[in-house]
Amino acid sequence: MSGRARETHRRLVLRGAGTLFVLCLALGTVPPVLAGDAPEFRVITHASRPEASVTHEFLADAFLKNVTRWPGDEAIRPVDQRADSAVRRHFSDGVLRRSVQAVKTYWQQRIFSGRGVPPPELESDEAVVHYVEAHPGALGYISGNVPAGKAKVLAVAP
Amino acid sequence: MGRPVLWGAMLAAALCLLPVRRAAAEDSPLTQPPDVHAFVSQGFMLSSKNNYLTHSRRGSFEFTEVGLNLTKSISDDLSVGMQLFMRDLGPIGNYKPQFDWFYLDYHFRDWLGLRAGRTKLPFGLYNDQSDIDSARVPVLLPQSVYPTTQRDFLLAQTGFELYGYEPLPLIGALDYRLYGGTIFIDQTSLAAPGETVSDLDVPYVVGGRLLWRAPAPIDGLTLGGSVQALRFDLDVSLSDELVSAFKQIGRLPPTASNTFKYSIPALLGVGSLEYSAHDLLLAAEYSRWHESYRTRPQIIPDGHLTSTRWYVMGSYHVAPWFSPGAYYSLFYSGVPGPKTRDKYQQDFAVTTRYDITSNWLLKLEGHYMRGTAGLSPGLNSNLPLAELTRDWTVFMAKTTAFF
Repeated sequence: MSGRARETHRRLVLRGAGTLFVLCLALGTVPPVLAGDAPEFRVITHASRPEASVTHEFLADAFLKNVTRWPGDEAIRPVDQRADSAVRRHFSDGVLRRSVQAVKTYWQQRIFSGRGVPPPELESDEAVVHYVEAHPGALGYISGNVPAGKAKVLAVAP
Repeated sequence: MGRPVLWGAMLAAALCLLPVRRAAAEDSPLTQPPDVHAFVSQGFMLSSKNNYLTHSRRGSFEFTEVGLNLTKSISDDLSVGMQLFMRDLGPIGNYKPQFDWFYLDYHFRDWLGLRAGRTKLPFGLYNDQSDIDSARVPVLLPQSVYPTTQRDFLLAQTGFELYGYEPLPLIGALDYRLYGGTIFIDQTSLAAPGETVSDLDVPYVVGGRLLWRAPAPIDGLTLGGSVQALRFDLDVSLSDELVSAFKQIGRLPPTASNTFKYSIPALLGVGSLEYSAHDLLLAAEYSRWHESYRTRPQIIPDGHLTSTRWYVMGSYHVAPWFSPGAYYSLFYSGVPGPKTRDKYQQDFAVTTRYDITSNWLLKLEGHYMRGTAGLSPGLNSNLPLAELTRDWTVFMAKTTAFF
């Protein structure tokens, strides 16, 4: 192969690799579908919490248990929903930016390497509302059209 | 199993069995039952030419792992845990149970926690998860960086660990761990033909890992590095035949005894890159292991080796029940001289994971290998690695149930 042909070949390979990388990134960062009048989920906490909003990063860190305390030092008690529920899927894609399957894999890593256990999984939106109402420091999410009861709805800042 | 390991486990067990105080608040972590998790894996391996990890040429089921763990929060800050593990992989393990890890964890703040006990070594992205079949797509992690045959040396240390996680405004978060202690190793696992290891000591293992987690919109990107320094001190006894042979060729003086001391200080480093978002996982790691060796009395000249190891890996959750993946992994032993087949191993793997239920999976995996540096002469009729077949393939199937 001549020097010029080799250079052309090298450029083609680099271009192909670059295109593949961008495609992969695009596949991995497809934004969650959050369109529509009603949000697909709402984030709730115990009524005693002073916060009106939380950031995306804080929510993700709290549900992955990288961060375990609210400002002011109260323990965060995150509570999840069933793995096959639509609201879990929306929350996982939208906040954790990982599929439910990827999050399950994350918790398998944590459980069997001794780094922690996942938040409890409750059966329904209503069960999450009851849990959050009863537990100071609790943090959960429910379907957009479900009443939050005495729990406090938090805005989610990007 | 080392006695400290046993004592530590008994302490952890006693803590877990503390009676629940009725005065405790209803929602206190102490009143919650312990978390119990377990897994059972059975694999099969078949290779086209060389025996790999087990007697794989004829097809081998000597590929079993069992783990049972228990963790318990005593308060919001304090928790204990332990995992019992046993495995059989060819000549390794032989179903001998051992405590994989046990710890007492005081989580002072998110940016500072302290663990005492036997903790998994945070080396690279996946070393502390290398036993966990359910936590990844491939059957075998890339063996250049995570050699399963060296699990006893690289998996866990007994001592202390400081750890923390610190979100940084606008620039992501730092995830860090520092540790120091020792490693208890079953010295019988090191025996080789003609020699016996009568004592094995790891006077120290120290190291750390720093990971940077990127902020949105590139959250899911992780960059980091790990270093680890340790030293092995061995008392080795040679057979009379081997000593005679060494004396005849002048390697040993005529008055030399059968025993010698072997010291191996090692410095390991790895740089890591991972992108994990939604269903996609991409990872790449580059590692160099620098090992010195010294024998007294001198049987072989003092020296050192620096091996090079790297891989690139990707996987994708196509559906909740199906995840394919692939990786390319290279190990170069660093032994001086011409680049013969016994000094490197290239591994191109294609793998599929089927989640049959949420607690049961099956994996099928094929490897195309070039080079023999990752093979064991003991499994291959004690032939020199340079005489084994250069190009070979391995097929693996593995099923794991877990909860």
